[in-house]
Amino acid sequence: MTARPTVSRRFNIGSALLTTLTLIAAALWFAPVYWAVITSFRTDEDTVREFTLFPSDPTVANYVFGIVNSNLPVWYLNSTIVAVSITFIVVIMSACAGYAISQLRFPGRRLLWWIILASFMIPVPGLIVNHYIIIAGTSLLNTYPGIILPMLLAPVTVIVYKQFFDGLPKEFREAAVMDGATEYQLLFRIFLPMNWGVTTAMAIITFIGAWNAFLWPFLAVNNELMMTVTVGITSVQDAFGVAYGRVLSGAVMASLPVALAYLLFQRRVTQAIALSTGIKG
Amino acid sequence: MASVELTGISKSFGAVEVIRDLNLSVADGSFCALLGPSGCGKSTLLRMIAGLETVTAGTVRIGPDDVTYAEPKSRGVAMVFQSYALYPHLTVAQNIAFSLSLAGRPKAEQREAAERVGKLLQLDALLDRRPGELSGGQRQRVAIGRALVRDPQVFLFDEPLSNLDALLRGQMRIELAKLHNDLKSTMIYVTHDQVEAMTLADKIVVLDRGVIQQVGSPLELYNNPANRFVAGFIGSPAMNFIPATAESGSGGVTLRLGNGAQLAMAGRLAANLADIGVRPEHLRLTAAGAGHVDGRATVVEHLGNTTFVYLDTPVGAMIVEGDPGTPIHPGESVGLSIDLAHVHMFDNRGQAHRAV
Repeated sequence: MTARPTVSRRFNIGSALLTTLTLIAAALWFAPVYWAVITSFRTDEDTVREFTLFPSDPTVANYVFGIVNSNLPVWYLNSTIVAVSITFIVVIMSACAGYAISQLRFPGRRLLWWIILASFMIPVPGLIVNHYIIIAGTSLLNTYPGIILPMLLAPVTVIVYKQFFDGLPKEFREAAVMDGATEYQLLFRIFLPMNWGVTTAMAIITFIGAWNAFLWPFLAVNNELMMTVTVGITSVQDAFGVAYGRVLSGAVMASLPVALAYLLFQRRVTQAIALSTGIKG
Repeated sequence: MASVELTGISKSFGAVEVIRDLNLSVADGSFCALLGPSGCGKSTLLRMIAGLETVTAGTVRIGPDDVTYAEPKSRGVAMVFQSYALYPHLTVAQNIAFSLSLAGRPKAEQREAAERVGKLLQLDALLDRRPGELSGGQRQRVAIGRALVRDPQVFLFDEPLSNLDALLRGQMRIELAKLHNDLKSTMIYVTHDQVEAMTLADKIVVLDRGVIQQVGSPLELYNNPANRFVAGFIGSPAMNFIPATAESGSGGVTLRLGNGAQLAMAGRLAANLADIGVRPEHLRLTAAGAGHVDGRATVVEHLGNTTFVYLDTPVGAMIVEGDPGTPIHPGESVGLSIDLAHVHMFDNRGQAHRAV
């Protein structure tokens, strides 16, 4: 009876400390986001005049300017086309590759698996010069395929799918084989539908990655009408310097779909991060 | 319906040979149980019949067709797995009709087939549920339904009741027996549970380390085991083994037990005896010193309809089946009398012999 309050008090102090640290970390993370949002609702004069936590004279002029005077709607469309295409192709391709490596027996299977694992360890920026030379050589700069193709490299998604398929009891496959299922039917009628959670998680994380991508689209496109939203907003600048409000209103609009995707599919995103970092799954 | 004929079947995984030159014939309409301990090769044998494993040597015939190298789907067999292998994202009806769906049959036909099979297996009220909403017994019935809908020539069961609790296992055993009576199909059933094999099968194949030890009806195996392995594997509680030697003389055979006791039998025995085997129900409890072997009771199990007494004796631990309510307590000294008419004799290689 005497030990209990001590344990309980210790627990309370510990959890209070942990909560405080978490709140500080959250505040540190949130501060730039908050600053970006309030700056996007200020005039540049207001921004540079004094430090205040709220805009003294809130305005949507920066947003109106971005929508009316820049190519933001076109960039949005470009980003949507690019991100959706990448998501669709990566998910289908990774599911097929993961399935083949996990379930089929063919010469070179193990080698292929090691190559995919090895490619996971090479940072994409390390390949960017090669990508540029190839895409420029095939005259695909300033085209959708030119932006999309190099971004289809997704060894992590293949690895996640392979691990997922490895974990399924072999009886599912055998029962379907006895029933006369082809490999295509096995993958698309049994293995994938059995747990859409993995595919949804992979699709969301791929979409977020593709939408947020900057370096490659920045190199692959210089035609303003082919820019994605992340690249396009960098061109929203005033002739006399950086227009804080306009740049940040562009940034807010650019990150809106990702923020919405995260809010809507919060649990799936967490699952995707856990799956692709090997925390579980 | 079709017979199954296995000729010279061998199976190796790398350097490990799990089945050795096996020959087996399962008659059309028979319920054949493949019985043996874990790792004896019974499931591998079933999977070779199904086409899920290739054979290293030998031929598999189903009916008149040599299916040794045929695809599983074209062998005319259906298999029920231990884990049921029901697809969690499909309803009971969709699971049952999955093979028809793969074959591109119309939806109405699939539904009609699922309803027909569902009615047969008392699943008609559950057709629109998913496997996750069913009990173990219901899942097992769906797995059987998935096999039934294909109207196969041969049903293959791979330990289908192992995941059920004891009560449900008993109920499903009865349902399977009824199903076989109704369908009269050829069924091959893998199990390590000799009670399942004894109660369901008309033919039992006992396997050990990839070799058939004996093939026969349940009672043949129980009453006339071909060797010590079969004698010890069939029967619950297991047979008691007592070290013994035998001398054949003009007056018959004299068995000399490990404790020096002697038993006289008629006939002659042409083998070097190593053990005799006696089933628990063929031993009788007597007063200490009045039987063939003396012992001390260690555990007494009163099961209502019978009593099992576990004893320590000079010839090893033994089990005796006594009358219900046998008045005996742990620690008591008793004697054991052996029913000579039911003694099994084994040589030093474990082969069974009879006095003739």
